[in-house]
Amino acid sequence: MIDKVKKELEIRFPLLKLVREQHNYLHVKVERVSAMDAIVMAKTTLGFTTLQLISTIDRLEEDVFQITWILENYDLCTILLISSNYPRENCIVPSLSQIWPTASAFEREIFEMFGISFPGNPREGEDFLLEDWKDTPPMRRDFETEEYSMRVYGERQPREHLDPRQYIGDIVGEWNTPMGRKREEEK
Amino acid sequence: MYCNQRPEKPGNKKEFLEKITNMARANSLWVTAYGTGCGAIELRPLHTSRFDMERFGIAMRPTPRQADVLIISGYLATKTLKRVIRVYEQIQDPKYIVALGSCTINGGMYFDSYNTLNVLDKYLPVDVYVMGCMPRPEAIIDGFSLLMEKIKDGRAQGWKHYKENLDYYRENQKKIITDWDLPDYNW
Repeated sequence: MIDKVKKELEIRFPLLKLVREQHNYLHVKVERVSAMDAIVMAKTTLGFTTLQLISTIDRLEEDVFQITWILENYDLCTILLISSNYPRENCIVPSLSQIWPTASAFEREIFEMFGISFPGNPREGEDFLLEDWKDTPPMRRDFETEEYSMRVYGERQPREHLDPRQYIGDIVGEWNTPMGRKREEEK
Repeated sequence: MYCNQRPEKPGNKKEFLEKITNMARANSLWVTAYGTGCGAIELRPLHTSRFDMERFGIAMRPTPRQADVLIISGYLATKTLKRVIRVYEQIQDPKYIVALGSCTINGGMYFDSYNTLNVLDKYLPVDVYVMGCMPRPEAIIDGFSLLMEKIKDGRAQGWKHYKENLDYYRENQKKIITDWDLPDYNW
């Protein structure tokens, strides 16, 4: 059945590239222009009615975001992944929230974590996980996470010696828990 | 309605009276049922039949108004810190904080995360740290017996320290919570 799906897609989109294929799994890469057409076609004619996830990969070396829409056909138990590359700078991807309402949540998350905007999403720009984030979106590869952590949350105290008893004593000021004292008395 | 005044300075009781009340406090520690990180999983065996912390007079309470102890169980995100401050300030005096895991001590494995704070002691006064990632229920019981000893000796004074140095703590809290929408004084 995956052969049939592949054949139908290849007739409509001749520039399609095959990434990976298994008996119930197909990953194809399409041109940026025809990504939406491929998704709509998969939903309407091939029966992939469920949107499982929209995932993003930041390919910094190629200067693109690879966006993958993961669709599932429950009747045939097959998964179809349609991915497409978008340029990193001022990245704009069409929204799918008119077709699948669930897409709205995924798109808000991607907007927050990667800064990709989805025009057409009615709830675009609302806080999803972070509150009041002003820096570079944190899942981008050019975001320096350790430098940010040091700047905002302060330096971490390094260990000076490896003896745990002494180390805990420096922090807590004592090593005499009731259990420990009982153990010492028994000795 | 919210209190709009600075907290009153805690008055000094007579010494023998303080000792008796401390005895009572140490033997009936009531904990707010509020888990902040992965350590909340370790609290479940602790307060159910296997490790049964009610033998020590420690019980879970549903609201901060009835509790004395707040357990910070593991990593703390900035978003959670806002809620934790609110919960902590709602607890009636005297109140104690037990911090679990290495994340609260120096960041632990999340030291370079963009969203979790590194040193808890800058933002809230911690009475007892329990080491480990995560500490087993035995270790948490050990920590609680240390807290009981500290209360009996009158050394668990974190809540007094918090009231006296409120400006220092507020400054640190507002440094990382940029959209501060809590009232200034929450008790």
